[in-house]
Amino acid sequence: MSRSVWKGPFVDSYVLKKAEKSKESGRNEVIKIWSRRSTILPQFVGLTFGVYNGHKHIPVNVSEDMIGQKFGEYSPTRTYTGHAADKKAKRK
Amino acid sequence: MTTERICVGAIAGSFGVNGEVRLKSFCAEPEAIADYAPLYSEDGTRSFSPAITQTTKNGFVAQIPGITSKEDADALRGISLFADRDKLPGLPDDEFYHADLIGLEVVDTGGTVLGQVRAVLNHGAGDLLEVHGPGLKASVLLPFTRAIVPTVDLTAGRIVADPPEGLIE
Repeated sequence: MSRSVWKGPFVDSYVLKKAEKSKESGRNEVIKIWSRRSTILPQFVGLTFGVYNGHKHIPVNVSEDMIGQKFGEYSPTRTYTGHAADKKAKRK
Repeated sequence: MTTERICVGAIAGSFGVNGEVRLKSFCAEPEAIADYAPLYSEDGTRSFSPAITQTTKNGFVAQIPGITSKEDADALRGISLFADRDKLPGLPDDEFYHADLIGLEVVDTGGTVLGQVRAVLNHGAGDLLEVHGPGLKASVLLPFTRAIVPTVDLTAGRIVADPPEGLIE
């Protein structure tokens, strides 16, 4: 069953506080968070979070199309790099 | 830095009794492996020009000229297939092949060497460069953005990075 709409999206309060503080300071920094369950809100767009995966903080640059997802979705706990072959990386 | 040959696949074994082989592709678009022919073995002594005949659950079935029996096909099992780097199509600005980025030296804006790129990862929030270096406690993941990685110099084999606060411990 999905979450009731009247409750609004869930975000751990410390994540909101850290994000607000970082936005106000305007510094280029990684906001370290452990809350993988928090929802990505519109006010997080443009910020970089370091989302803990149980081992280290994975940098996540929040963009508009990530709104509504959870932070944990972008910080996998198991990784497999595979072969480079002809795979491409685009600098944004 | 440009490597001469890039591993694009492997021969997984034989298929049927007519000398066809099972082909594993490591390419972004798996069927592109046939476009990079001729493919070479790791030591470069043998070359193969596989023609894909059908797809299977875990890859492709291909016919290699000169391989006509199951025994010949079985003998090729486990061979990694390498393509010439020149066969890969050119890319627009700000797009790079992982194979070109891996191994580049990473320096910060002050000129201090941070380490080398070991892998390029993407977990859905943009590409990340995994940097390993002697001065780093653990590997560092650098978001591959213009702000954080302003310069990528493939000819000099160097990346200039401006990591944000808190990224490097």
